[in-house]
Amino acid sequence: MYNRIAVLRKERGLSRKELADKIGVNFQTVGYLEREEYNPSLDLAFRISECFDLPVEFIFSTKPMKPLSEELLNLKRGV
Amino acid sequence: MNKTKHTRRFAVLINYFSIVVILVLFYLVRLLGLNPIFLAFEIIPLITVVLSFRHAFVKTGIWKMTYASSKKLDEREIQVVFKAMNISYSLFAITTLVIIYIFILSGLGQIDAVLAVCLLYIAHILPASIIAWNEKE
Repeated sequence: MYNRIAVLRKERGLSRKELADKIGVNFQTVGYLEREEYNPSLDLAFRISECFDLPVEFIFSTKPMKPLSEELLNLKRGV
Repeated sequence: MNKTKHTRRFAVLINYFSIVVILVLFYLVRLLGLNPIFLAFEIIPLITVVLSFRHAFVKTGIWKMTYASSKKLDEREIQVVFKAMNISYSLFAITTLVIIYIFILSGLGQIDAVLAVCLLYIAHILPASIIAWNEKE
């Protein structure tokens, strides 16, 4: 499973520890999630989406995700 | 491989190697009929066991994680500990069986206290060793 956790965390200026505390996991687990070496449970995925205040499908995907800048550009162009 | 993982793995290897040295020294003295004063040298691998244990398991928090209540662990940690426990159960059963067979076939007699203590120690550190070996951070 692919995700945007690393980008979203950095965008919000959070450390791994801060994000880990917010979603109720160990900071090492955040590292595993960011490297896409661990797939979260549905419960954790929803907690992450609530933390970033974004829909879960915007953070997680079964297909490789496009960079956010590219998605924004596509939105602007109305693609 | 990052430096932390490398040093942790090295400490795990040192720990097991020290246990082997303790056993080899003990059986050398016993089987070759050497002066029991040689057993005093056991203190060196014993200190190495303590130091490498501290470095590989205590400082890294792996020991605490292995024996912590599942309520204190997150979902990934629970999975990691469960997998490590599973592997160590099989590994320990096979190791103990092999040792018992070796003792029976070679006519060494019964397993003595030193070997029993070492086996008990290994039974306790095996899950933590597997975690220390595999964890990336």
